[in-house]
Amino acid sequence: MTQHSEFLLEIRDLRVQFHTDTGLVKAVEGLNFTLKRGEAVGLVGETGAGKTTTALAIMQLIASPPGKITSGQIFFDGKDILTKSEEEKRHIRGKKVAMIFQDPMTSLNPVLTVQEQIAEMIRLHEQVTNKEALEKARAMLQLVGIQPERGPDYPHQFSGGMKQRVVIAIALACNPQLLIADEPTTALDVTIQAQVLELMRELKQHFNTATILITHDLGVVAELCDSVAIMYAGRILEKADARTLYGNPQHPYTQGLFHSIPDLTKNVHRLNTMPGLPPDPTALPPGCCFAPRCQYADEACSANSPDMTEVEPGHFVACFKIQEKNGRQAHG
Amino acid sequence: MGSPAVTETMVETRRLKKYFSTPKGPLHAVDDVNIFIAKGETLGLVGESGCGKSTLGRVVIRLLEATGGSVLFGDQDIVKFDKNDLRTFRKRAQMVFQDPYSSLNPRLSVEQLIAEPLRIHKVYPNERETSVRIKELMDTVGLAQRLATSFPHELDGGRRQRIGVARALALNPEFIVLDEPVSALDVCIQAQILNLLQDLKDQFQYTYLFITHDLSVVRHISNRIAVMYLGKVIELAHHLEIFENPQHPYTQALLSAIPIPKLDIVRKDRIILEGDVPSPVNPPAGCRFYGRCPSRQADCLEETPELVEIGPNHFLACCHPGAITAQKQPAQ
Amino acid sequence: MVLLRKNSNLYLTLVRLRRNRLAVLGLWIMLILLLTAVFAPLLAPYHYATQNLVDAFEPPSWAHPLGTDDFGRDILSRIIYGAQVSLQVGVFAVSLAMLSGGVLGAIAGYYGGHLDDVIMRFMDVLFAIPQILLAITIAAALGPGLMNLTIAVGIAALPTFARIVRGAVLSIVGQEYIEAARCMGASDAWIIAKHILPNCSAPIIVQGTLRVAQAILAAAALSFLGLGIQPPFPEWGGMLAGSRGYLRDYAYMAVFPGLAIMITIMALNFLGDGLRDAMDPKLKR
Repeated sequence: MTQHSEFLLEIRDLRVQFHTDTGLVKAVEGLNFTLKRGEAVGLVGETGAGKTTTALAIMQLIASPPGKITSGQIFFDGKDILTKSEEEKRHIRGKKVAMIFQDPMTSLNPVLTVQEQIAEMIRLHEQVTNKEALEKARAMLQLVGIQPERGPDYPHQFSGGMKQRVVIAIALACNPQLLIADEPTTALDVTIQAQVLELMRELKQHFNTATILITHDLGVVAELCDSVAIMYAGRILEKADARTLYGNPQHPYTQGLFHSIPDLTKNVHRLNTMPGLPPDPTALPPGCCFAPRCQYADEACSANSPDMTEVEPGHFVACFKIQEKNGRQAHG
Repeated sequence: MGSPAVTETMVETRRLKKYFSTPKGPLHAVDDVNIFIAKGETLGLVGESGCGKSTLGRVVIRLLEATGGSVLFGDQDIVKFDKNDLRTFRKRAQMVFQDPYSSLNPRLSVEQLIAEPLRIHKVYPNERETSVRIKELMDTVGLAQRLATSFPHELDGGRRQRIGVARALALNPEFIVLDEPVSALDVCIQAQILNLLQDLKDQFQYTYLFITHDLSVVRHISNRIAVMYLGKVIELAHHLEIFENPQHPYTQALLSAIPIPKLDIVRKDRIILEGDVPSPVNPPAGCRFYGRCPSRQADCLEETPELVEIGPNHFLACCHPGAITAQKQPAQ
Repeated sequence: MVLLRKNSNLYLTLVRLRRNRLAVLGLWIMLILLLTAVFAPLLAPYHYATQNLVDAFEPPSWAHPLGTDDFGRDILSRIIYGAQVSLQVGVFAVSLAMLSGGVLGAIAGYYGGHLDDVIMRFMDVLFAIPQILLAITIAAALGPGLMNLTIAVGIAALPTFARIVRGAVLSIVGQEYIEAARCMGASDAWIIAKHILPNCSAPIIVQGTLRVAQAILAAAALSFLGLGIQPPFPEWGGMLAGSRGYLRDYAYMAVFPGLAIMITIMALNFLGDGLRDAMDPKLKR
């Protein structure tokens, strides 16, 4: 019996650590995250913020050693997948949760035709004959805008954008409930990126698959996502629906991020930059992880780590200063 | 050319060609390119991967040998330089590379890396003066002195790129080719480096050729922008002119494809180009953009359009510039 | 110590090497062997050529810990002196191969084109001949002796180094820092010396260590065949050859030189494998 929860995915206090030569890397540090059915969320952050690690944790693909999920729960469809057997995890991977990787060049097997690779995914998870699987594979190709006649071709006969379409076809072949796309368009040119984003938008409407789009590009998120989560040093600092977050970013880091992007509608000589660098994941600062770079930070910020609080309906921020400000407004 | 008479030309290319021989025939990486860069300006060079922009940047400072045409640096043609001329020329023109990871020798420390050009050209008679100059350069690019003995692998991408910039400045060049200098960096670091480049230019009056695929970056940093497609410069104009009044159908499509990190901007008419960039090996006669052009006409294949001035300081290579404007008007 | 600055590549390599117990063991054995060879006259209880026919074929005893051979010479002393030859041949032969093969390989890899073709096809020819046969041919042509033995073994090992260095150079020539150096106006010689060779030192050092083992083995084989060091100077392979006739009755005459060869080869292999792991850039961070 599946207990039907409101959320398709709910992550509670997830911690992922890696043992390396230079010390213990705390890649994900107390992450809380929810995703509704059919929702598309953009997970935005800089290199090393823990975006991909989070995705791999959901997929149960953290390489161990050196990596380890040290605490937390990941509820998928109401059930904690961390407690499941390897067999059950395999059933979830691909069938219920599918992932698209950044580099379409290396995520396809060069010695198999593209239709075989799509059919392989279908055969792994569905009771079908080879013929049915291949037929469905060709239908998937059609769906992602590749002529089905090109099915018997090998990956090297396709361009980068076309390969990424094939990868998307593989990911969606078993009609998963959740699609994790890790920088799906980063390796592509702008005009090709526009094609792929257009396709992903269509497919989102067609399948109504919940999507986690991992990216560093706030522009790509604006194209595709209903909501946005800003990640920094293994935590989520701010989460809201896209309209709210783009219109009214609250966390000082989010604001800094927006200011760092050259604006196509304004002419400025210098950009506003945030001082400093993201913290070393082997030596995270105590308290708020952004405090050392934050212009508003005081002692309280370095002492405790702020929890996510709702500053307006559906808009969550992890920042003491904003909580203080809102508290004052509420009381005054 | 139509530039204001007062500006002095730093670099000018005339019918510059660079072909690479491949088993399938000559690859036209740069084909008949005529551009000029005025002293003290930043010329942005944009295009998608494989359009020949990096090759052009390298031929202009003779890191690659031209197949034909000339590159005028002042009144000298650097294509004709012999070994000695070239060695002197290296002091006048430098380059900053894309990848701050592979462009620094991992076995050298920061000071050794910055000292290398000084040592190659024996600029200072002794180590003491060299080390004074290294300190000065580190200050200029914002690298803390304590990092002098660090190795590249201990530093983040932004600091590494600062080393690359310091190294390029060491010989006091007049002209610097920047090949995707911020593409490998996160937005916050990217903003810091863009500001650094802007400050250096204000301070030392460098002339930049800024190569990138990122349109918002190029708009921010450039005075004029050249758009490249398949080995040809197809449009060249003032940076705002390109964005506000693009004339070439490719430029229009490229600009409309940029994902903008804002939700309120309603995209008027995104032009999604069909297909991929064709192969630059043995390109057909006529307009190179023909295959993907939304407003192509039969006679576009008859001759290759030349870059001509269609308005003050606005150059365009299109057979039917009028046709495009005429077509666009009813839509507006 | 300037060389051992924290976080320098050498320092990191040593730190990683220390974690590998076998490699540390190999390093210690090689150090002891080196000291033994250097201080052989002090350490050896007897001179290597002192004959004492009365004491011939003595089994191990207090006076002769490893026994004596058919001329009554002390086997321990002969093994200690033999370390000199083995190490000399091993190190010099490999240095010869490394230097000449390295230069050829670097030229082939850096300049490419026809030069590359000519050099590497010649190396292919050398490769096609079994190395020990090649060494035997060269040793037979040059005649016996330490120098000729070294040259024979060195030439036999040359193509391996040429190939390894060429491969390493090719992977580095494509790096952007080579282009950056060219952009600064550096000459080819500068680029090869400052950028290319230091960055392909890892595979060269690893292969060098492993090849010293093979060179010692080859030298022993040549001496065994009578093409290497001439008696009475002791060489481990030669000692093995000398014990051939007495294997049934006086096995220790063969066992101890054999053990010496085996331990040395093993130590070098442990060390070489350890170095390979410690220097592998993929393991960095």
